[in-house]
Amino acid sequence: MTDLLRILVSPVAWLAAFSAVYGLHGVLCSMMLDATVFGMSRSRLVLALAFVVAVLLQAGLLAMLYSTRYGAAPGFARVVSRASGWTGLVATIWTLFPTLAVSTCP
Amino acid sequence: MKALTRHRRLAAIWSSRPGWRGWLSTVNHNDVGLMFLVTAFFYFLVGGILAMLIRAQLATPHSAFAGPEVYSQFFTMHGTIMMFLFAIPAIEGLAIYLLPKMLGTRDLAYPRLTAYGFWCYFFGGAMLLVALLFGIAPDGGWFMYPPLTGKIHSPGINTDFWLIGITFVEISAISAAVELTVSILKYRAPGMSLGRMPIFAWYILVTALMILTGFPPLILGSILLELERAFGLPFFQLELGGDSLLWQHLFWLFGHPEVYIIFLPAAGVISTILPVMASTTLLGYRWVVAAAVALAILSFGLWVHHMFTTGIPHMGLAFFSAASTLVAIPTAVQVFAWIGTMWKGTPRLHLPMLHILGFFATFVIGGLTGVMVAVVPFDWQVHDTAFVTAHLHYVLFGGFVFPILAAVYYWLPLVSGRKRYFRLGEVAFALIFTGFHATFLAMHWVGLMGQRRRISTYAPEDGWTAINLISSVGGFVLAFGLAMVLVEVVLHAVVRHHSARNPWRAGTLEWATTMPAPAYNFASLPHVDSREPLWDDPGLPVRLARGEGYLGDPASGRRETLMVDVATGVPEQHVVYPTNTHLPIVLAAVTGLFFLSILIKVFWLTPVAVAGVVALGWLWVWRLGSRNDLGEQPIGRDLRVPNIAESDRPPGWWGSAFLLVADGTLFGSLLFGYAFLWTVAPGWPPPAFANPSPFALVAASAGAALGIAGGVFSIRNNRDGKGPVPGLLMALGGMLGLGVALMVFLAGAPSPSSHAYGATLWVLGSYGLLHAVLAGLMLAFLLSRHRAGYISSRRRAELAIAPVWIGYACVTTALILLAAYLPGLAT
Repeated sequence: MTDLLRILVSPVAWLAAFSAVYGLHGVLCSMMLDATVFGMSRSRLVLALAFVVAVLLQAGLLAMLYSTRYGAAPGFARVVSRASGWTGLVATIWTLFPTLAVSTCP
Repeated sequence: MKALTRHRRLAAIWSSRPGWRGWLSTVNHNDVGLMFLVTAFFYFLVGGILAMLIRAQLATPHSAFAGPEVYSQFFTMHGTIMMFLFAIPAIEGLAIYLLPKMLGTRDLAYPRLTAYGFWCYFFGGAMLLVALLFGIAPDGGWFMYPPLTGKIHSPGINTDFWLIGITFVEISAISAAVELTVSILKYRAPGMSLGRMPIFAWYILVTALMILTGFPPLILGSILLELERAFGLPFFQLELGGDSLLWQHLFWLFGHPEVYIIFLPAAGVISTILPVMASTTLLGYRWVVAAAVALAILSFGLWVHHMFTTGIPHMGLAFFSAASTLVAIPTAVQVFAWIGTMWKGTPRLHLPMLHILGFFATFVIGGLTGVMVAVVPFDWQVHDTAFVTAHLHYVLFGGFVFPILAAVYYWLPLVSGRKRYFRLGEVAFALIFTGFHATFLAMHWVGLMGQRRRISTYAPEDGWTAINLISSVGGFVLAFGLAMVLVEVVLHAVVRHHSARNPWRAGTLEWATTMPAPAYNFASLPHVDSREPLWDDPGLPVRLARGEGYLGDPASGRRETLMVDVATGVPEQHVVYPTNTHLPIVLAAVTGLFFLSILIKVFWLTPVAVAGVVALGWLWVWRLGSRNDLGEQPIGRDLRVPNIAESDRPPGWWGSAFLLVADGTLFGSLLFGYAFLWTVAPGWPPPAFANPSPFALVAASAGAALGIAGGVFSIRNNRDGKGPVPGLLMALGGMLGLGVALMVFLAGAPSPSSHAYGATLWVLGSYGLLHAVLAGLMLAFLLSRHRAGYISSRRRAELAIAPVWIGYACVTTALILLAAYLPGLAT
C-alpha cells in the first residue's frame, strides 16, 4: 500500500489544496474584505499566501519522493510516483496561479 | 490426476445451477459479468431508440411527432439510460467478467456482492423502465436541476422515479467499485506485482477509486432533493435558506468525474487491444499508468466548468478554466503512447482495430472541442446549445462506444469459444462511423447558429432545417450500423464456428483459459513473472491445466483462491468463497422494497424493509467462517499460508476500508453543502442556532472513548486467550453513548422544515445516528458469533472489522457536534 500512497499523494494533495483555496476564495468574498496591505487587498494577500503554501507543500512532497528515505525503491513505483509528484506541482502552479493574476471577487 | 478429471471436479465445484434458475442464484463472476453486459446492452438499445425518437422529432420544423411533455421524457431518459444504465454497468460487467482472468485468479473478492450489485441494477433499472412505459418517466433533464425539479414546478412522481431509481442503481456502482478495488489490490496471481499488472487492471483500479469518491455527492444530492420533495426540508429553496446552486455543485462533483469514469476503462480497453493488434507491447506503460492516475485526480477539479454561466466570480472561473485545460496533457500522454505503440509495432487492420481508429478520430475531435468550452468566454457563447450536446457525444461515443465495440469483437471469442462467420462488422463500422459524424458534426454547426439544446421544435425561419435533417438522417444511419452489430452478435451465438485458443496471439492471462472460459477460470493458479506471461511462456496454459500451479488440487471440494501482498504479489492468505445462493437477489429485492416504499409514499413499509435488510445482512455474514481452527493451508508449490479467518486483515476489513472512503466522501459532501449554504446562500445566518447541549457533548466523548478502547481491548484480549466479550460489551456501551448523544442533539435542533440550517442539522444528526447503530449492530453480531463458536484466539479476523466502523462513527459524531454547536458557541 505504501507504493500506492506514494503514487497518489501529490495529486491528492493538489486536489485538497485546490478545493481549499476555492473554498477560501468563497469565504473571503462573502466577508467582503476591502482593506489593503502592502498595496494588495487583504483577500488577495491571503489567497496568494495560500498559493505559496500549496506550492511549497508540493515541492516538499516531490523532494520526499526523490529522497532515498521516503521515495520508492528503483523500478515501477519510483517512476510513477515521481511522475505523479511532478503532476501535483505543475497542477498546483497552473490552477492556482489565478490567485495572483485575476480580480478576486467581482 | 488427469487434466480432464481435474476440469470435471472443478466445474462441479464452481458452476452455477443449470438452466435459467441458475441465473437467480449464481455468484460466479463469469455469469454475473455477462448478465451485467447483456442488461447494459439492452439499455443501450432502449436509449438508442429514444435517440431515434429525438431525431425524428427534430428532423423537421414544427414537428407534431411528440408534444413537449413526452419529448422532455425522451431526452431525459435517453441521457439517464445512457449514462447510468448503459455506460457504467457495461464497464462494471466487462471488468467483472475479465479481471479475475487477467489477474490470474478464480473470482472477485466478494462473489455475493457482485450478484447483489447486479440485482440492484436490474431492479433499479426496471423501476425507471416501468416509469417510461407508463408515461411517468423523469422529465427534468438528465441532470435534474432544481428549482425545475422541486415540488412546486414538478409536482408529479416523475422526478421521484429518477432520484430514487438512480440512487438504487448507484448501490450497484458502489458495490462494484469496492469489489473491483479490493480484487485488484489483493486477489492476483502470485508474483503479479503492481508493475506487472495488466494495464486494464490499472485503469479499472483508478476508475473504481473514482466511483468511490465521485458517486457519493450525487447520492447525497438525490437524498437531499427527495427529502425536500417528500418532507419539505428546504435544501434548494431560496426563500428558506436553501440554494439551487447547491444541487449543481453536488451533481457536477459527480458529473464531471463521471465522464472520466466512463472514458478511463475505455482507455484501458484501447491500451490492452492496441498493442495486440500491433503485435508489440504498450509504449510507456509506466507513463500511461501515471497519466491515468493524473487524469483521474485532475478530473475532480473541473466540476465548476459546467457552471460557468451561474455568476461565479472571475477568479473562481479562472481556477476551473485552468484545471480544465490541464487535463489535456495526461490525455495527450496516453494518445501519444498509443500512436507510438502503433509506430513501433505492425498494426493489423482487424475489426477491433477499425473501432480503435474510429475512437482516435472521434475522441480527439471531442477533446479539442472540450478545450474550446474550457475557455470561459467561448463557453458563455455556446452554453446550453447543441454545440455542447455535440461535444459530449464526441467525447462519450468516441471515448466509450467505439472502444466498447472494439472490446466486444476482441473478447467475443473468449466468451463463446467461436469466431465470426458472417462479416457484417466491417459494414457496420462504416455505417456507425459515417452516421455518427454526420449526426454530430452537423450538431456543432447548428449549435453555433444558436439552436438551444433540449428544445422540442423550431421554426423554419430559424434556418436550422437542413442541418437538422442531415443530423437526423445521420442518426438513422448510425442506428442501422449498431443494429448490424447486434445482428452479428446474435448470429455469432447461433452459428457454431470454433475459434482456436488465443486467436489474437495476446500476452495476457485471460487467453490462458480454455475457450469459452470455464467457471473456475484456471485449473491451477499461475505464478507470474512478467506483464505478458503468455508471450514469455507459451506452455503456461497446458501446465496450469495439469495442475502445476497453485491450488491445483480440487480434493477439498471448496471454492478456493489466494490473497496476495498489494505491492509484491507474494501469497498471504488462503480464501474459501461462498457458493451459489439466492441471498443476493432476495436482499436486492428487499432493498428495492425500501426504495419503492419511499417512491409510492407507503411509509409504514419503510421500517419493515429496513428490518428485512438488517436480518438478511446478518444472515449474509453469518454464513461465512468456521467453527474450527484451520491452521496453515497448503496452496501448492510447497507453500502454506493461513486462512483468511486467521488473519488480521481479512477481505471484510479491506472492503470496509474502501466502503468508508465512499461513506466519508458522502459525509464530506454534506459538510461542503453546509459550508456552501452558510457562505453563499441568502437567508443565512439562520434565525436561531442549535443550543449546545453539555449532556450530548459528555455522552459523545464518553461513548467515543469507550467505543475505541473496547474495540482495542476485544482484539488484544482475544489474542491473549481471554476472549473478546468484555471489550465488545464496552464498545457496545460506547456506541449506545454516541447514539444517546446524537438523539439529544436531534431533539434540540431547530425544525428541519423551517430553514435549510435545521434541515442540514437533521441530516447530519441522522447520519451520525445511523453509523452509531450500524457499529452497535456489528458488535452485537460479534457477541453472537463468539457465543456460537466462530471466534477463537486464532480465528480473529472478524474482530478486526468492527473497530474500523467504531472509529468512523466516533470521528463523524465529533465533527457533527463541532459543526452544529460551534456557531452557537461562537456567538
